[in-house]
Amino acid sequence: MATIVNVTEEKALQVKDFEFTYAGADEPSIKKLTMPIAKNSITALIGPSGCGKTTLLRSFNRMHDLYPGNNYKGEILFKDKNILDAKEDLIDLRINIGMIFQKPTAFPMSVYNNVAYGMRLKGIKNKTELDDRVEKALKNAAIWNEVKDRLKHDADGLSGGQQQRLCIARAIAVEPEVLLFDEPTSALDPISTSGIEELIVELKKSVSIIIVTHNMQQAARVSDYTGFMYLGELIELGRTEELFVTPKEKLTEEYITGKFG
Amino acid sequence: MNKIIDTVFASSTKIIAMSILFIVAWIFTVLLNQSMDSIQALGFDFLTGTKWAPNLEKFGALPAIYGSVVSTFIAMVLAVPIAIGVAIFLSELAPQKVKAPVGVSIELLAAIPSVIYGMWGLFYFVPIVRDVFGGIGISMLTAGIVLSIMILPFMAAVTRDAMNTTPDILKESAYALGGTKWDVIKDIIIPYAKAGIIGSFILALGRAIGETMAVTFVMGNVHKISLDLTAPATSIPVTLANEFTEADTDLYYSSLFELSMLLLVISFTIISIAKFYFLRRKRRS
Amino acid sequence: MTHTQKRIIANNIVMVLSTTSALIGMGFLFWILSVLIINGVDALSFSIFTNEGAPPGYENSGLKHALIGQFMIVGVATIVGVPFGILAGTYLSEYGQKSKLAETIRDVSDIMMSAPSIVIGAFVYSIVVAPMGHFSGWAGSVALTIIMLPIILRTTDDMLQLVPSTLREAAFALGAPKYKVIMQVVYRGAKVGVLTGILLGIARVAGETAPLLFTSFNDNFLNTDMGEPMASLTVTMYNYATSPYEDWQKLGWAAAFILSMFILSLNIIGRLLIMKRKEK
Repeated sequence: MATIVNVTEEKALQVKDFEFTYAGADEPSIKKLTMPIAKNSITALIGPSGCGKTTLLRSFNRMHDLYPGNNYKGEILFKDKNILDAKEDLIDLRINIGMIFQKPTAFPMSVYNNVAYGMRLKGIKNKTELDDRVEKALKNAAIWNEVKDRLKHDADGLSGGQQQRLCIARAIAVEPEVLLFDEPTSALDPISTSGIEELIVELKKSVSIIIVTHNMQQAARVSDYTGFMYLGELIELGRTEELFVTPKEKLTEEYITGKFG
Repeated sequence: MNKIIDTVFASSTKIIAMSILFIVAWIFTVLLNQSMDSIQALGFDFLTGTKWAPNLEKFGALPAIYGSVVSTFIAMVLAVPIAIGVAIFLSELAPQKVKAPVGVSIELLAAIPSVIYGMWGLFYFVPIVRDVFGGIGISMLTAGIVLSIMILPFMAAVTRDAMNTTPDILKESAYALGGTKWDVIKDIIIPYAKAGIIGSFILALGRAIGETMAVTFVMGNVHKISLDLTAPATSIPVTLANEFTEADTDLYYSSLFELSMLLLVISFTIISIAKFYFLRRKRRS
Repeated sequence: MTHTQKRIIANNIVMVLSTTSALIGMGFLFWILSVLIINGVDALSFSIFTNEGAPPGYENSGLKHALIGQFMIVGVATIVGVPFGILAGTYLSEYGQKSKLAETIRDVSDIMMSAPSIVIGAFVYSIVVAPMGHFSGWAGSVALTIIMLPIILRTTDDMLQLVPSTLREAAFALGAPKYKVIMQVVYRGAKVGVLTGILLGIARVAGETAPLLFTSFNDNFLNTDMGEPMASLTVTMYNYATSPYEDWQKLGWAAAFILSMFILSLNIIGRLLIMKRKEK
């Protein structure tokens, strides 16, 4: 049984007996997983590759639905509603729960249109409102000063770190309640990485954050809670400073001391 | 000893590889030489003349050029939207079980020789055009439609391939913002694959304009510019296919060679634009 | 109506349109295929393979002359085009690589692959048929060779480039001269790919009609002398199909069916070979 610390904050998401099976697989990739996600804090998911951390992350915005045959069981509660419900409106869900990917995913359009994209999908057409919110999002993503003179330029021209911050700006522009980060710095250099990390910490004032990372130092640096996953199960969820110093589970200890993984 | 063989092998492969350049240059030279009579005798009138009457030694290529342009235009207008639809269906819409067999059969249909499309057009499509649109069924319109069906598999397959180059992660990020399939297609996939898609359309255009057999059966080879699409017409390749073995005077031959050269120059230009302007990046990567 | 609802409706409309166009496209293509199969199978009989052409109305007419002619014309083109194409492709991949000359040859071949084949026919008419004074099987083969060359050249180039350079380096490190590395290591590594290219190249030229119209021309009877006009399946198909005689039209369908099955089989074998290589 997993050791789960008592999360005192309000919960952004509540995972209950969650199981996930990929199309055609015999065994579930995530088994009976229960886990609270604290509001306005950062929860990091760590574990060896194949442990299911990215699979879990991609369940929060039902990304798995893009590919047929995948199967969910159990509950993930978001605002008192089970988002795994067949009736769940995925468009709405994804507007409320944003996602940042391993690699920067600047769309083939201008910097401005990249940030405005999600808002336009929501139906915001008013030019001044769009302008204001694009500026605000870019400022919040700490990239405004670098791009304010080239908003009309193709986003392709930005560096990797800039593109990743642009993607964050694009995600926060629609004002989501939860942001999912899937190894957001794995394609970036160390300087861009620390920029993104600072930004993530800054963002938790307004959103709840879940970050998957293969880098334990990164988890230790940015997160409030850390969940260690192994073979599709949550082994331990603890306050980050406690989990890395005094892990309760033997497996967790072995992993963070580098005995495997 | 090894060294000698090495040198001989290296230089013979090089000479053979260069022969392709030589052949292309030779083709142009021969066609130009053979066209000289006609170029000198007819000059610019060859391109603008509307009367093609070999018995009177009159050779105006405009009806054939007009026919090539119009039939290809009809083919493109019909094939492009359907090809896009098929490509969207194959790359984004169809369930996995449908995708593979339909995709493969489209590719196999692209391999069927054009003469068979022409034959089908003559026996099965000409009567339909005759009944629906009037005329004798052998017409510009029929040629355009048969041509569009012939280029459809190629176009759809290449468009699908271009669309498939869009990275999944890019599509996922648009879905993650709450995009629908159509949002993702029009805002992400099409802009991303734009060069490849346009390039494949132009490539298909280049093939269509030089296509002979699919249209020869159903066009009629009538050298007359008519706005009536149900009237028989001709195109450059149709004229060549029908008249090359019948030409009986030097000027007649030379005019046909000039037509060949014209066709070669047009297709070379179109294909070069497709390959070098739109599809270049693809090959480099 | 909210904006999201509008987007969902637009989405559904496009999905319906795209599925419909896929159905229309596939419908036409399967129509052609079924016409081909129904008419072809109907016209097929054993005697088609043993009898030569005959004037319309004669019962014992067949396609033997066209099948043999086709085989000879395409065969000669293959015998010449394949080795030359492979050697030229070898130059591009192993010697020329990214040089300006190699890139130019690639570009020109790419264009040639889509160039109108009837123009090749006109060219060969002028350099072979006119000097000889008459149409001939040789002329047809020359035209098909010119069409085949760039196809084999480009696929060989691509396939050889797929062979990992570490394999070449390992052979060089053993002191092998370059030609031996190419023959014994590179060719072996790219065997399946090059073979597939050859099959597709043959399939492509076997369906060519336009360049044969005024090179090999036609002959309604069996002729195995490449120096004389020669029947091919494609030109025979064209002549028979455009004739007013029903029995000839029927033979035309039989020829169309045989040719299509041949070309489709080559394509399918090529695909299976590639799939098998990928599984490894």
